[in-house]
Amino acid sequence: MANAAAPTPKANMGAPAPRVDARLKVTGQARYPSDTPVGNPAFAVLVTSTIATGRIERLDLDGARAVPGVLDILTYENTGELKGVKFGQGSSTSIEDLGPEIQQAGQIIAVVVADTFEAATDAASRVKPTYSEQTPSATFGSPGVTQEDATKVSPQHKHLPQAGDAEAAFAGAPVVIDLEYETPPQHHNPMELFTTTCAWTADHLTVYEPSQFVYGLKNGVAQRLGIDPDKVRVVSSYAGGAFGSKGTMTPRTAMIALAAKRLNRPVKLVATRAQGFTIATYRAETRHHIRLGAARDGKLVGYSHEGFEVSSRPDPYVVAGVEDSAQLYAFGAVATKVNVVHADRNTPGYMRSPPVVPYIYALESAMDEMAQKLGMDPIAFRRVNDTMNSPIGNRPYSSRSLMTCYDQAAAAFGWKDRNPQPGAMRDGDWLVGYGCATAVYPTHTGPAAARVRLKPNGEARVQIAAHEIGNGAYTVIGQMAAERLGIDLASVTVEIGDSRLPPAPVAGGSNTTASSCSAVKKTCNLIRARLFHAAVTANDGPLAGRSADDLMLQDGKVVANDGAGESFADIFRRMGVAVVEDYAEFVPDGLKPQAIADLYAGKVDMVGGSHGDKVMYAMGAELVEVRVHVLTREIRVPRIVGAFAAGRLMNTRTVHSQLMGGMIWGISSALHEATEIDPRYARYVNDNLADYMIPVNADVDQVQVILVSEVDHDVNPAGVKGLGELANVGTAAAITNAVHHATGIRVRKLPIRLEKLLQA
Amino acid sequence: MASVSTATVVPAFARASRATPAAANSGDARAPSDFTLTVNGRDHRLAVDSRTSLLDLLREHLALTGTKKGCDHGQCGACTVLLDGRRVVSCLTLAVAAQGRAVTTIEGLAKNGELHPMQQAFIDHDAFQCGYCTPGQIMSAIACVNEGHAETDADIREYMSGNLCRCAAYPNIVAAVRQARPAMKTASRD
Ligand code: FES
Ligand code: FES
Repeated sequence: MANAAAPTPKANMGAPAPRVDARLKVTGQARYPSDTPVGNPAFAVLVTSTIATGRIERLDLDGARAVPGVLDILTYENTGELKGVKFGQGSSTSIEDLGPEIQQAGQIIAVVVADTFEAATDAASRVKPTYSEQTPSATFGSPGVTQEDATKVSPQHKHLPQAGDAEAAFAGAPVVIDLEYETPPQHHNPMELFTTTCAWTADHLTVYEPSQFVYGLKNGVAQRLGIDPDKVRVVSSYAGGAFGSKGTMTPRTAMIALAAKRLNRPVKLVATRAQGFTIATYRAETRHHIRLGAARDGKLVGYSHEGFEVSSRPDPYVVAGVEDSAQLYAFGAVATKVNVVHADRNTPGYMRSPPVVPYIYALESAMDEMAQKLGMDPIAFRRVNDTMNSPIGNRPYSSRSLMTCYDQAAAAFGWKDRNPQPGAMRDGDWLVGYGCATAVYPTHTGPAAARVRLKPNGEARVQIAAHEIGNGAYTVIGQMAAERLGIDLASVTVEIGDSRLPPAPVAGGSNTTASSCSAVKKTCNLIRARLFHAAVTANDGPLAGRSADDLMLQDGKVVANDGAGESFADIFRRMGVAVVEDYAEFVPDGLKPQAIADLYAGKVDMVGGSHGDKVMYAMGAELVEVRVHVLTREIRVPRIVGAFAAGRLMNTRTVHSQLMGGMIWGISSALHEATEIDPRYARYVNDNLADYMIPVNADVDQVQVILVSEVDHDVNPAGVKGLGELANVGTAAAITNAVHHATGIRVRKLPIRLEKLLQA
Repeated sequence: MASVSTATVVPAFARASRATPAAANSGDARAPSDFTLTVNGRDHRLAVDSRTSLLDLLREHLALTGTKKGCDHGQCGACTVLLDGRRVVSCLTLAVAAQGRAVTTIEGLAKNGELHPMQQAFIDHDAFQCGYCTPGQIMSAIACVNEGHAETDADIREYMSGNLCRCAAYPNIVAAVRQARPAMKTASRD
């Protein structure tokens, strides 16, 4: 049936096929890792440090051991055999030990294992550490933080974008703005908790853990345990949301593996929600100093952007979103710099659209302020500075449909009714504001391998260790195979999320559809070629002597354009085979063939985005209406319209959901989300779902997604740009800009809470 | 905001006085309680630690893992089940407190392979992405309709706000509830 969730495909868009795993998900049969039955598991409960810096002087375990049912307690004293894995090379953090040194609040200091979850929970509460405590440095401005230039400490960011002489450009520009912005720490908080279940069979380990990179986790855990990676299997058939939090190995996994080994019994951990704030990663707080210079006609002449990002004491995690923001408009001269600020915190990590969420928020807010200063409509201002070439090296965009997105979104939204004067639009007791901003996300493609088996009855099985995190991976991978093999989606079985399958990259950087579908397409093409060859070389067959170029697969047959055809069954019989199976490795242009071997070893390299001869980005335009109550200053978002272009869209239904959910994430970033830090103790205060604000159903009203057709042959063989992380970019700026339009108040620090609108 | 989350899905403690824990006399919470629990129409004879939540009982003892743990604190709704037809968060419901009452979980909705109208509506409207909140959303949505709290979109939004969805499928969830509402009414008339 027609409904908003299943948009009718336009050019270069695939059918809105219902998710192939939908029935499993609505019946409770989809098996998330902690749902996996393992025989007679013991239950682990973590104990985490209450201090951020110092040392465990004594760990009193007597009370815990006395609890009936307790089987084992892991501490720093009996886990010395766990090896370190370097940050950035498989591990999310260098803070991997259970002590005695404490480097962050909420560091795991003990793992209590018992017969029941209840006994383990009871015993964990009886573990009594005695610490010698030091004063931690919590965040920006805290005494004791240290600052480094990211280009000196982050191997991925040795060079940041520069073009021309920005200082000279500002000196000569008739209009200049010079502003600072701030974003808070945020935690992913997927609805699924961080769980790990480990079971050993002889010297083989199976890990059931929600993961965005089963090959990375497999290799990382093997390294931590000092065993052969071939003896480790990681299974993650479904992840209950991830958003980046399950992309890298965190310390808990090896601990649970070790606990299971010591007991010779499966061990199951379901960490608490509060522990999830410190035993995994988060989006760190950032600060931005931006300058823009423009001519009076709105043409930009210079852009400078200096970012500051918090990281942990030992690790230089940094997102350096200037790499992307610097490509976005015809800026003229560009100067960028990024600083890492080390504090006594857990190491941050990838969270949905890591580089662009904070940096594009700052840039798109500044763009609005500049438009305001120029007296220009903010969309017109962006149109003046639209470009088909990046200002960094004048490299062309592989495709770019930004202004088409603005035009379609503006028409649907009714942007022409906007009174440019801030505070001029009002509806009863509500101040009304319209704001806009650009969404942008770099297109990434990584190496991947796939195995595909076709049976004579037209049933196929696809195997690839991609990841289902809500992205619709099962469905779109199945769609690609069905399309290439000329069979129904219902005839395709897709197996993913298991390190026994051929590898796919981390489900990060929105590359899953592009990389996996490219690998599946390549593998299916091998099968097609074999069938075509068999069909045309048979002396007696109906397609004998034809050119393979004229053939295609349709409805379980090889057919020619004049209608002649031969069934799979007949061709298989002639080939003398029961099934046709192929395996192929896909390596995107720009990577060495070694990339596949690296992927097997848990290392992943991707191409695209700001790198290469062409720059590759998915883009969108988001327009929002904000209402601020004149008396209470309550802020509502009654409607948001986003138009997005991202190359080929495999499935308009799954795409629609990702973009819709993304925009709601953006609303959340603007108005709800922030992890509050107690600056005295460097601890998170609101580490639960009642105090960590995310939108509930009542917070969300009209969310309209417009899919814009775009064709891009350069990005990858699938022509897919990837958009899981597109729609939550820019939203916070669009809302900031709309709040300013409604009230005349410019908020430069997220989230926008009503107390920030109380000023006169 | 999330603070409304406990308003619509209440812990069963509110009515726990109806239950008579079998182990009440031992005085030790760890002592196993013997009791019978009716889940999806089937009786289960159990002996578990008295502190076991209904959620952990379903998941760890009865292998009914469709009900999810998202917080264990009554803050997210992922663990929502029906107790005598009323929605409760099973993480804040002691298993012993559910004896003598009918527990319905996500596994108990489809009859002979035919999906409940709410399950079908969730598929039709793509009312989920990762699917982790979905069992709780569906159980809550069924109760929401039966309570008469699904007559308008605004009501649906309000009375479904105890169930968080981090994938943010909210507008599609509203559409699904709207679709299932008349179908559920027809079904109950039959
Ligand atoms: S798990 Fe029960 S409300 Fe979250
Ligand atoms: S579908 Fe992922 S949390 Fe709701």
